[in-house]
Amino acid sequence: MQETILNDLKMPYCPGCGHTVANKSMSKALADMGVHPLDVIVVSDIGCTGLVDPLLTCHTIHGLHGRAVALAMGIRMGLEHSDKKIIALQGDGGATIGLQHLLEAARHNLDLTLVVQNNMVYGMTGGQTSGLSSTEFKEPDRPESAVPGYDICALAQNAGAAYTARTFIGTDTAELWKEALSTPGFSLIEIVEMCPAYGMRKVQELHDTADYESVVTRNPRAVGLPHKAIGRSLLDGLKPIEHTCEAPLDGRLEIIVAGSAGEAIQSAGDLLSTAGITAGLSATKKGDYPITIGTGFSVAEVILSRQPIHYTGIDCPDIMIVISQDGLDKVRSRIGEHTLVIADAKLGPELEELAGPPNLVTRDFRKTGGSKGAALAAIAHWLQDNGFLPIEALVEAASRHKHGDKMKVIIDKAVAA
Amino acid sequence: MTTVNERMVFLDGSRLIIEAMARSGAGAYIGYPITPVNWLFAGAKQRIPIALEAPDEITALQWAAGFSSSGVFPVTASAFPGFALMIESINMSFMMELPMVIILAQRLGPSTGSATTGGQGDLLLLRGCISGGYSLPVFCPSNLNDCWEMAAASVHTAVNLRTPVVLLTSKEMVMTNQNMDISGLKEIERAERHMHEGNGEYKTYGVNGNLAPPFLPLGNDLHQVRLNASTHDMEGITQKNSPEALGNTERLKNKIEQSVDEYTYYEHDRDEGADTVILTYGISAEAAREAVDLLRASGESVSLLVMKTLLPVPPRIYELLSAYRHVVVVEENIVGLLRELLYGNRQHDRIHGVNKIGHMIAPREIAEGVRQCRKPS
Repeated sequence: MQETILNDLKMPYCPGCGHTVANKSMSKALADMGVHPLDVIVVSDIGCTGLVDPLLTCHTIHGLHGRAVALAMGIRMGLEHSDKKIIALQGDGGATIGLQHLLEAARHNLDLTLVVQNNMVYGMTGGQTSGLSSTEFKEPDRPESAVPGYDICALAQNAGAAYTARTFIGTDTAELWKEALSTPGFSLIEIVEMCPAYGMRKVQELHDTADYESVVTRNPRAVGLPHKAIGRSLLDGLKPIEHTCEAPLDGRLEIIVAGSAGEAIQSAGDLLSTAGITAGLSATKKGDYPITIGTGFSVAEVILSRQPIHYTGIDCPDIMIVISQDGLDKVRSRIGEHTLVIADAKLGPELEELAGPPNLVTRDFRKTGGSKGAALAAIAHWLQDNGFLPIEALVEAASRHKHGDKMKVIIDKAVAA
Repeated sequence: MTTVNERMVFLDGSRLIIEAMARSGAGAYIGYPITPVNWLFAGAKQRIPIALEAPDEITALQWAAGFSSSGVFPVTASAFPGFALMIESINMSFMMELPMVIILAQRLGPSTGSATTGGQGDLLLLRGCISGGYSLPVFCPSNLNDCWEMAAASVHTAVNLRTPVVLLTSKEMVMTNQNMDISGLKEIERAERHMHEGNGEYKTYGVNGNLAPPFLPLGNDLHQVRLNASTHDMEGITQKNSPEALGNTERLKNKIEQSVDEYTYYEHDRDEGADTVILTYGISAEAAREAVDLLRASGESVSLLVMKTLLPVPPRIYELLSAYRHVVVVEENIVGLLRELLYGNRQHDRIHGVNKIGHMIAPREIAEGVRQCRKPS
């Protein structure tokens, strides 16, 4: 005899509860289909529907209120191509709080079946109405409540479910169960039920109250599964930086490069750091930009040091390279007495008040490097002038970059200027 | 000049964390986008065999639990706003005993706060996030090398103890590039779950004297698996408060606490004769290392203790701290979360804080804090 997924213990439900009938229908359908209990995983929600969990002979996982579908999706993706049947059981309360998960499961069309046992009521907590309650179903204390419920079958269908069905307790649901369980992809059965504790006691009363229709929709489409990749090592692809030349720097140098989004400020900071490492120094770099990264300022903070760097913060930098008004507005308060400012010529008049000679150098870096190369041109100019790093370290760093040839041209022009 | 075996690269902590977790056996990464974990997500998409975008953080944790229950090790990452949404599902996974790692990258709060500003404000949230007060193991990298080693420790501890583990980091750790010779990185072994073997009786939460039960995935062909987030007996059947079920719940506390010596990580830079120790964790440890150099360079004796296992608080930490007259606790918040975790709300004459928000704490500020506490009052 076919083993069933229900053991022979008494159901824990009130006399007349629809959940008893629905669970027996599920068990019978699986037995009729010849599915062995260990080929079934039932994911149950909090609420009366989940009380069936101890009676099940299949694999079970009893989670949180409203999250059964999301959990079932994770299991399905974890088991990949397994043909195990995954069934999520929820009430109307769980479907309301977890509505997003239901839509997501339908959208992905993962191979699982969700059963929503809609008795229009939170039966464990005092008979409150849910988002799936009929307008005709009244709470004793709030008889005026008549907000229409969600049509979850329509929602799931629109979201991409392969199969949806709504049926009423008391009708023969065996064929619906079998079709749902054998449909590849996401299937949903909504069973409109009675809650004898807070609702109605007769099937006719249920039909009088429920303002939903029985429906079946089919939407054959490809079954979803996560893409599985052979992950590439995140370290093997990093090209080691050779220490090929020497920098005269003895201590620590803190540099801020400031400009606007789209002006390759972060790449300039990376290049300067790489040049430092090429010359045997330690380097750190962090970016600062608004959360909308395509507009406004872009600031790179670079530290070069003969010693290992632990603390990566900069208060008042030794060097500040500024190539746009956005950048200046962001960093002007950090210019200190000792800060050497190297700026685009257009910012000169404003900077003269803040820094002033001999701590201010201005050139038309935009002319030398264009908007995307101005920061690099300013860095090259500064290195040429001060010799903290050999210029070949910067050229070497540029040669590692995908736009290295263009960068080298800018470095050459800046050095010659 | 470069030596033969050296592999000097320029990289960020996110890359090391994801690579270390992949080598430890992470099979799935489920993320919902949030700054500052963007680089973790980007790295995971290249490295972890299954990398998914969830529609929200509750879903992310539920998917993670689903993967874990079917035998795939999941990782997710978020900042406070997303982590807050995950908490109920972390409790679920804790109760079901599903191993996973949640990377929490701290940023300036409260609430949305400032997404691109660092912070260290979430420690007590982790201490209290499991209802009942149970600890999750929490690891905290204090530099790039720790990003590698603590990421691996997180996965291994999660697998060994069958529990969610949090890797607590911060914006500055996962979004700052630094040079590093990666030839010195330790080899990482893949973490293997302790599986139930054979056809004998299997109870999902039967431990046979061990701290954590052996694992079988949902859907296996031999034994029924019953996972349960409600109070349950050893079979996994919901119970109100039966002795067996309460015993099982008590075991969840014991398995984390009794094994803490096996996953206690710290760095103790002891200065013989020092009466003061700087105690810190995470990003503030880097500034503290420079503060120690500053103080010692000027002839001032000081020790440093960096906690890398934050929760449960390792007893070894108290042993080490007891040797000092002054403890200066450095953390990037203005409340003193680590101070409160270790010493409660009561003021102690020997416990001092160096605290700040909005910017990293600088080495000179820590050095000043040490000098202040040693001044006669």
